Amino acid sequence: MSDAENSPPTEPIDSPSQGGPEPGSDFEPVSVFGDSETTMDLRPGADNCYKCSVCDTSCPVAEVDDDFPGPKFQGPEQWRLKRKEGSEIDDSIMSCSNCMRCDDACPSSVPLSQMHNTARGEYVDEQMDKLSVEYVRNRILANYRTSAWFASKVPRLANAVMSFGPTRWVMEKAMGVTSEREFPAFATQTFREWWRKRGGADASRRNAREARERRGDPADADKKIAYFHGCYSNYNTPEVGKALVHVFESFGYEIVAPEQRCSGTPMFANGMLADAERAAEVNVSSFADLVEEGYDAVASCTSCSMALKQEYPELFDIDGIDDVAENTFEALEYLRIQEDLEGAIADASVEEQAFAYHAPCHARNQGLDRQALELFRELDGVAMEDVGDSCSGISGTYGWKEEKYENSMKIGEDMFEHMHDAAGDVGMTECPTCAMQMEHGTGYEIKHPLQLLEEALC
Amino acid sequence: MSKTPSALVLGGGSTGCGIARDLAMRGVDVTLVEKGNLTHGTTGRMHGLLHSGGRYAVSDQKSATECIEENRVLRRIASHCVEMTGGLFVQRPEDDDEYFEEKLQGCRECGIPAEALSAEEAREMEPYLAEDIERAIRVPDGAVDPFRLCVANAADAIEHGARVETHAEVTDVLVEDGEVVGVEVEHASDGGSADGLDSFVHGEPGTTEELYADYVVNATGAWAGQIGEMADVEVAVRPSKGVMTIMNVRQVDTVINRCRPKGDADIVVPHETTCILGTTDEEVEDPEDYPEEGWEVDLMIDTLSELVPMLSEARTIRSFWGVRPLYEPPEVGSEDPTDITRDFFLLDHDERDGLPGMASIVGGKLTTYRMMAEDIADHVCERLGVDAECRTAEEPLPGSEDFSVLRDWMDEFGLRSPVGLRSAERLGSRIDEVLGEWDGPNPTVCECEAVTRAEIQDAISQSGTELNAVRIRTRASMGNCQGAFCCHRMANELVPEYDEPTARDALDDLYQERWKGERHALWGEQLSQAMLKHHLHATTMNRDGDPAATGEEIDFGAFDAGESEGELSDTSGGDRSGDAVADGGRRTRTDETEGDADGDS
Amino acid sequence: MAIREDVLVVGGGIAGATAALAAAESDAKVRLLSHKKSTLRQASGLVDVLGAIPRGGSTDGSGAVSDGAAPADEGSTDQSELVADPLAAIERLPEDHPYRVVGADGIRNGLEIFDDVVGDAYEGGHTDRNALVLTHGGTVKPTARYPQSVAPGLASAEKKTLLVGFAGLTDFDAPAAAAHLDAAGVPFDVDGATVTFPIQFRDDALTTRFAKALDKDQSGVRKRLADVVSEQLDDHERVGFPAMLGDDAGEEVRADLEDRLGAAVFQIPTGPPSLLGMQLEDLLFDALDAAGVRISSGNLAVGYEANDGRIESVLVDQRGNEVPYAAEEFVLATGGLVGKGIDSDRESVTEPVFGCHVPHPEDRYDWSEPAAFGAHAFARFGVVPDGDLRPTDGSGSEEFENLRAAGGVLGGADTAREKSAAGVSLATGAHAGRRAGEEATR
Repeated sequence: MSDAENSPPTEPIDSPSQGGPEPGSDFEPVSVFGDSETTMDLRPGADNCYKCSVCDTSCPVAEVDDDFPGPKFQGPEQWRLKRKEGSEIDDSIMSCSNCMRCDDACPSSVPLSQMHNTARGEYVDEQMDKLSVEYVRNRILANYRTSAWFASKVPRLANAVMSFGPTRWVMEKAMGVTSEREFPAFATQTFREWWRKRGGADASRRNAREARERRGDPADADKKIAYFHGCYSNYNTPEVGKALVHVFESFGYEIVAPEQRCSGTPMFANGMLADAERAAEVNVSSFADLVEEGYDAVASCTSCSMALKQEYPELFDIDGIDDVAENTFEALEYLRIQEDLEGAIADASVEEQAFAYHAPCHARNQGLDRQALELFRELDGVAMEDVGDSCSGISGTYGWKEEKYENSMKIGEDMFEHMHDAAGDVGMTECPTCAMQMEHGTGYEIKHPLQLLEEALC
Repeated sequence: MSKTPSALVLGGGSTGCGIARDLAMRGVDVTLVEKGNLTHGTTGRMHGLLHSGGRYAVSDQKSATECIEENRVLRRIASHCVEMTGGLFVQRPEDDDEYFEEKLQGCRECGIPAEALSAEEAREMEPYLAEDIERAIRVPDGAVDPFRLCVANAADAIEHGARVETHAEVTDVLVEDGEVVGVEVEHASDGGSADGLDSFVHGEPGTTEELYADYVVNATGAWAGQIGEMADVEVAVRPSKGVMTIMNVRQVDTVINRCRPKGDADIVVPHETTCILGTTDEEVEDPEDYPEEGWEVDLMIDTLSELVPMLSEARTIRSFWGVRPLYEPPEVGSEDPTDITRDFFLLDHDERDGLPGMASIVGGKLTTYRMMAEDIADHVCERLGVDAECRTAEEPLPGSEDFSVLRDWMDEFGLRSPVGLRSAERLGSRIDEVLGEWDGPNPTVCECEAVTRAEIQDAISQSGTELNAVRIRTRASMGNCQGAFCCHRMANELVPEYDEPTARDALDDLYQERWKGERHALWGEQLSQAMLKHHLHATTMNRDGDPAATGEEIDFGAFDAGESEGELSDTSGGDRSGDAVADGGRRTRTDETEGDADGDS
Repeated sequence: MAIREDVLVVGGGIAGATAALAAAESDAKVRLLSHKKSTLRQASGLVDVLGAIPRGGSTDGSGAVSDGAAPADEGSTDQSELVADPLAAIERLPEDHPYRVVGADGIRNGLEIFDDVVGDAYEGGHTDRNALVLTHGGTVKPTARYPQSVAPGLASAEKKTLLVGFAGLTDFDAPAAAAHLDAAGVPFDVDGATVTFPIQFRDDALTTRFAKALDKDQSGVRKRLADVVSEQLDDHERVGFPAMLGDDAGEEVRADLEDRLGAAVFQIPTGPPSLLGMQLEDLLFDALDAAGVRISSGNLAVGYEANDGRIESVLVDQRGNEVPYAAEEFVLATGGLVGKGIDSDRESVTEPVFGCHVPHPEDRYDWSEPAAFGAHAFARFGVVPDGDLRPTDGSGSEEFENLRAAGGVLGGADTAREKSAAGVSLATGAHAGRRAGEEATR
């Protein structure tokens, strides 16, 4: 298995790739408005809409930003009004934060986020000035992994530079990146460095076998996963990746950590679909082979699992993409389906601790917003409070934009209040950017559920 | 006589409006009467195809040639009513090769630009075409909005001094000394408005009026026979019905014709936000009373999915039927209505029946309406001794003057770009007048079709309280919710200019009219939509149990007046921040109000 | 199977929530499975039990005036007859109506659960009689329970009333609604005024934007709103606004306005987007949490596994993976045509999760009536329950031993014309949930 760290993570930008999904007997959007896949025809998706406005009531942006007309307008309405020629995408599409709560709300399966992603891609491609500060800023934010890759080579220096006041002042003034936020610290040892040092897949196989023996599972049990750690667990919070490894090995799973790029989430949110597709091609190709060998793909970040499960097959046509999508799981989701996690937790206990838990929007969209609460309710020593069903407000790169910062904090206000009210002073969430926002708004330390699971079970 | 020669045009369809405009421009004093709204008859009930002539290129080359000529004229004078989508004649494997060649040849003979495309090329243009099609011919078909076209013609006629009277049904043809001298009309009591509105003059509701003129033109299409009867002349129109099924979205952006001789269900016309599937051809007795049947709708979907497979699963939002005013000289005697010519006939009742003062115009098609009108106007002018040139082919209709639809709508009128674009497509050059002069908030009233308050108010100023007339001007309530979310908003727009009972009646009429067509689409998504609509209007608004409508007296005392009757609700002063919920609980927004129970005042 | 409970409720609307709460009373382990947001968000937030007896088609045709019902001018119209005493009127419903299965006691049980859930947030529980609330269409409607913010606006309270609408809002026109109410003969003077909302938002700003601004008292908006309304107040004793007076802090906003205006302030329920519906949804889900019900939402139930006439698990599509959710007893509460618990195509009407029998006329043109407010057959589409609310097949036998149905998925009720949607959901949800709990823990 090759290692992503041997090469810079993104190719030179600028050549939009060709091709789109093939029309099939079922509705498959096809490109009718132009050459690239960023201009798929989603008008038929408007057939599902019966205008009930539930998407609008679930939109955290429309609630604080009246420039944003809401997901119903941006989605099925705008698409239905679209023509092959002469249509423009309303520029308010750039105010959508891609939290995808509209997807989670729609009782009629309108492909809302797909519509938004596609329209945003078209807007960025055709209507946005490629030399504008906004475009360049969005491009850089969307390609976080590129920056992170460089930074990880010299983490201490990077951390020092990024927390250096004048640097931040210049970034805000020249690039529109808010100086209100602290950049996340880069780990001195990335997850992959740790993993390699630990012995990679071979070590994991040995550990898994030992665990099976201990558990009384058959030695050759078909328990193997391919870990999609994403950028953040690799560069910033390797402790989450390590926790996943320890927890899954304790249940007897062999783990591999295949070559991977960014899942594409920040690129979708900024309409950089060509960048996202290039990343997706690498990810799909490396995970598709493993899926064929019987591995399931498991992610620790809910936005990454969302991208692989939903956005990839919706937006791209890549060989093996459906197999990968169907065999991708979020970590807790996977264990809950496969293992008696509840039973394991019931027998465990940890030191007394209290958490303020926030369910990320992308977890909600996969139906996973309550699993951590449900599980840890049964864990001895733990008090866990849900801090509400609001959006944290950061939505990946949204809250990093200077002009969106204030709205981002308004959206997060409810969550911050509830966190302060909660008994615990440690936050918990699955999503790295929600974690940034939680920390930014409260100063709390934020943990991932896998870390608590590790503490309970390993 | 020094008096201005006058003419009375019966029928507010495309032909009648076209004649009225033409005559008015030539200086004739014109009055047009229509028993319903403009386009009430056939014009408003067609699929909106602007023929390239391709459809007639084999069977009727004279019509084909006229079509391509008029197609070019309309693109020039009625650009805001026309969308040049282009058209394809698509051949399937089971369709005749020879006919395809004949079609291509025929188009060339008639001067219709035609280009043969491979299946691949055709599918590149229209990706949802079936994978197994053989090939296609590309022609300059387009889509025309018949409502807008008629309204523009009528408005221009008024501009040139004509009187246009809608909701005025002809109840008698006045004959004096063996000559037609006018008609008697009855002004409807339940439509239109008694107020003198800017453009369409309305008589006092419920009254009759005798209108006199030097010449009467019977342009009532499928109803021409009924007018004829009033004057004791026979006009043997053979009304033939056809179904049109409206899809929720545009599956294609090009007119798709089946390339085969003739047959039902052989065309898909992209029309505004929708596609219209057409049609059938079946002779009926009475143009106002004929069965509208489910098999016809099924036939459209099943047959046309052979060309565009996704139609079989796609959502339809309604179906409607139109009646063609087919006519052929009685001696021809075609059995099948599809064999009847689509040409038009001018019946001069003086020459034909010895009844001077009136002519009837029958047959024909929308694409060539202007040319027909020109012929009739020539005839009328000749009878009236007016010597004036026809100018209708040169002068653009109101709304179609030089105009670009691509502007910055947000900066200019505070509109989102798709809303601005759609408004511009409907209003054409009138957009500056309608939106630019609007003062006050301009919310979107119909979200499906992106119609704002300013446009609704403009339509109300033209057509009064009849919301169906507002609908055909603006397309409000013609989208996928079929009025579920906007019928009542449109009615609200009538107040305060009109009183509440008037607005309520208008709402009921529009709601029922929408229901009539939506009933033909009630399965799948549209049935869910209809149920939601039923819930909104019956459950949430209780419009079906409205005491104001029934006139029933409700015993308000029999219903509870509330537990805390007489007190202000005591909710002030509590500490609303609330405490954290119990272990494991889910903290939601409403915890705050619950927390209030512990709060002190 | 890793995911297993005693009772699995499929559907997250009022019926599903009530069923889950009723099942949880028996100490059963309960999971509620919901797909997306429920139709609660489209509904007005009122809890109707039986507000009207539709005339023509779906009733027993007796036309008799029940105790307390508004006097009917028989046969003069196809409009529905408003009902003041819902429990007394249920016997006038058709035989196959779900109320006829659960009876008045069933309705009482459902309301009892509801009243526990909502506490002070709703009123109307002090009596069996309906109250008349004002609708945003300018009519009055009988309902059994209504949010406390709606309570000061009841039509039977004789108080001079001012309705206030906002210039850019198209759904509610206050002067039109006032004139309409007057035409309906309400026993109070009513006027309408259209004012400009003190903060100027874009014309297409959503109602949640207005509510949020009031919640947070952004730019002193509450005082400014009160100032604008004061100019129109005169001697009006109460002021009605469309239901957008805040969301999280709605009661605080209302109290603040009452304080400043010196008049009672009430909300008029609206169609979607319905803040009142959302607030009710939150109350229900809080109650589910408090009762220890587990909730999985976001994914669609697509099928089931059964053995020997008993369902063993429901299969949930988690982005391409069919994950089994096992239980002893199941409740089907997926809603009707709007909630997608009932599906249809050109030929047939189906219940998509378990394939239960849904009777319907063969010709789809018999599914509806020519009159827009007619006695549409489609409005009554749904599964046919036995005496224990188990869906039955075409021959009248139960489809599955351990499956009960509740709410909109049940056929036989024209809940739109009857104004009975929430009541049917509460009554049948309570019955189905209680029975499922009993059976699972027996």
